[in-house]
Amino acid sequence: MNITLFLQQFLNGLSIGSIYAIFALGYTLVYSILGIINLAHGAIFALGAYFTYALMGGNFGFNGLLANAVLPIKLPFAMSLILGSTLAGLVGVAMERVAFQPLRRQGSDPLLTVVSSLGVGVVIVNLIQYLVGAESYTYPANTYGNLPPAINFGSLENPIPIRSVQVVIFGVSVVIVTILTYFINRTKYGKAMQAIAEDPTTASLLGINSDRFIILTFFISSFLAGLAGTLVASSVSIAGPYFGIAFGLRGLAVIVLGGLGSIPGAVLGGLLIGLVEAFVPAEYSGYKDAVAFGILFIMLLVRPQGLLGRRFIQKV
Amino acid sequence: MKNALPGTTALLSICALLLTSCGGGTNTVTDTAAITGTSDAIPIGIALAQTSNVALLGQEGFVGARIAETYFNSKGGINGTPIKLVIQDTGGDEAGAINAFQTLINKDKVVGIVGPTLSQQAFSADPIAERAKVPVIGASNTAKGIPEIGDYVARVSSPVSIVAPNSVKAALKQNPQIKKVAVFYAQNDAFNKSETEIFQKTVKDQGLELVTVQKFQTTDTDFQAQATNAINLKPDLVIISGLAADGGNLVRQLRELGYKGIIIGGNGLNTPNVLSVCKALCDGVLIAQAYSPEYPGEINKVFRQAYVDQYKKEPAQFTGQAFTAVQVYVEALKELDKKSKISTLPLDKLRAELNKQILAGKYDTPLGEIAFTPVGDVIQKEFYVAQIKMDKDGNTGKFVFIK
Repeated sequence: MNITLFLQQFLNGLSIGSIYAIFALGYTLVYSILGIINLAHGAIFALGAYFTYALMGGNFGFNGLLANAVLPIKLPFAMSLILGSTLAGLVGVAMERVAFQPLRRQGSDPLLTVVSSLGVGVVIVNLIQYLVGAESYTYPANTYGNLPPAINFGSLENPIPIRSVQVVIFGVSVVIVTILTYFINRTKYGKAMQAIAEDPTTASLLGINSDRFIILTFFISSFLAGLAGTLVASSVSIAGPYFGIAFGLRGLAVIVLGGLGSIPGAVLGGLLIGLVEAFVPAEYSGYKDAVAFGILFIMLLVRPQGLLGRRFIQKV
Repeated sequence: MKNALPGTTALLSICALLLTSCGGGTNTVTDTAAITGTSDAIPIGIALAQTSNVALLGQEGFVGARIAETYFNSKGGINGTPIKLVIQDTGGDEAGAINAFQTLINKDKVVGIVGPTLSQQAFSADPIAERAKVPVIGASNTAKGIPEIGDYVARVSSPVSIVAPNSVKAALKQNPQIKKVAVFYAQNDAFNKSETEIFQKTVKDQGLELVTVQKFQTTDTDFQAQATNAINLKPDLVIISGLAADGGNLVRQLRELGYKGIIIGGNGLNTPNVLSVCKALCDGVLIAQAYSPEYPGEINKVFRQAYVDQYKKEPAQFTGQAFTAVQVYVEALKELDKKSKISTLPLDKLRAELNKQILAGKYDTPLGEIAFTPVGDVIQKEFYVAQIKMDKDGNTGKFVFIK
């Protein structure tokens, strides 16, 4: 492999990996606080993309209940992105109230909660299809203003073109991870979340209202899913209601690789899986998923706590 | 608290499995108007994908079948008896198609089936109909070996080996300087595998150099690595065998990364839905066609008009083919009814006689005049090549026939 191709695939991998990272951060946050994996995360990811599409004034095709529906507003992309992700966040909160909280109150087995989240995911995906059909939707061509389709990171003779949208995604991801890290480590709210993650009982004895922070966690987690969904959709279109599922599965690989519950782990895991996928040789490129899950499998065997995860301590 | 890890690990794998199966699950979409009531309408089964990532193609076919039902019933149905379509969703996988077939055959007692959507599904589901001796007409299965599944399996969708080479010839006509060809295909789909073999053979037969063959999955959307790999080999022609969402994305990413040559799309990209994926960048893509909305036959004019009135755009190939499949049933039933009243025939006899009649007949359809080989493959005369032309705004476009 020559250096140009190497650099090109490296940059591609970083960009794809950064999306995996912000997507997986959502999983990680919920896992840290509640100790469960929210399997509806992929569906929320898709939902966020649809919200943004609608807010940008996109109209829906003829196969769903909302055939040819279009919102009376037409917002610019940045605003739609934030609003669409916020809506996704609110759906996450509603989901927590309906599917998670009642089970938690009854002290149910975490497995039941995971199954419940899977149920919510399936309902959301089917609801999307029922409402807007299975068509793919693409954001308008001028989503990112007048950016050229690709940016050349090489020279004129030896071009290393990277799609502009990937560069934007990488930039946004870096900003999001920075803000989130600051929020978790430096703010009162973030510290309270950490306290709950450490030990919910002690946290509540210290006067932290854990219920409120669980809602906040679900909001942030689903916001991140919606944001990741929108960014991916701006790069590769909304491929249909099922388009979050593949991401949902890959996100699992990312957090197991990085270490369950570890924020830097989710970022590292995302980038690594993105890079590994980019370097899968062309003749095997159809097996990218298998590679991601192969890594997950090996990781579980060799280092079950993941790259940056903490060793599980047997508590009584 | 107990050690959470083994539980979580087991759970993740279970859930991964569950999620995958939910993606392609079978949901029964029963048409309320169709199977309720005890009317003596003749039931024809439609087993197409209404859900999953193949739903787009299935829905296109479904629309065509519906238009045929309305049209032929308005013309008096089968010598006075109406037909009714019984819809079963196949989802996108083999299990869903098998379930749909079994329900249609055993519960809904249909006289014959149109479907399933994918060749991949046909290889699993068609043998069920064959064993039950129920006629099946594939309306979108173009892989090699479909009619050979059995005596009761026929198709109106011309095999890829006949349709596909037309687009390569059209590309060479547009640019005789083409030397290097890059081929992409979705490896998780029987049809696309079969199509790419034909494309690769055509490339070699035309004396062109195959510089790379890149594989992907129909569920993939990010092709930058593959596109970069291919572009670095400087191809003059790229040939893609995939479905609408993945294929459209591949076209878009190839163009954005600077590929300037001709792109040929396979049959999976042969749908207006691809336009909404690659938008302005779809412009110029060549796709061979087994159907043209501009075919001047009378029945096509009626079909096209009905479709345009309802959906304000031109019908896609899959829509035309599904219409044709229902039409073949209607005309074969009519012919059979003339020989021996079909209302008096027991169901198994009716299915067997119908199958013979289907293969014996000649049909003037939106695809042109068609007939069947003894094994059940379609004999079609007209083929086309269309080029995608996008409007200035990049949001709408159409297939322009260039033959």
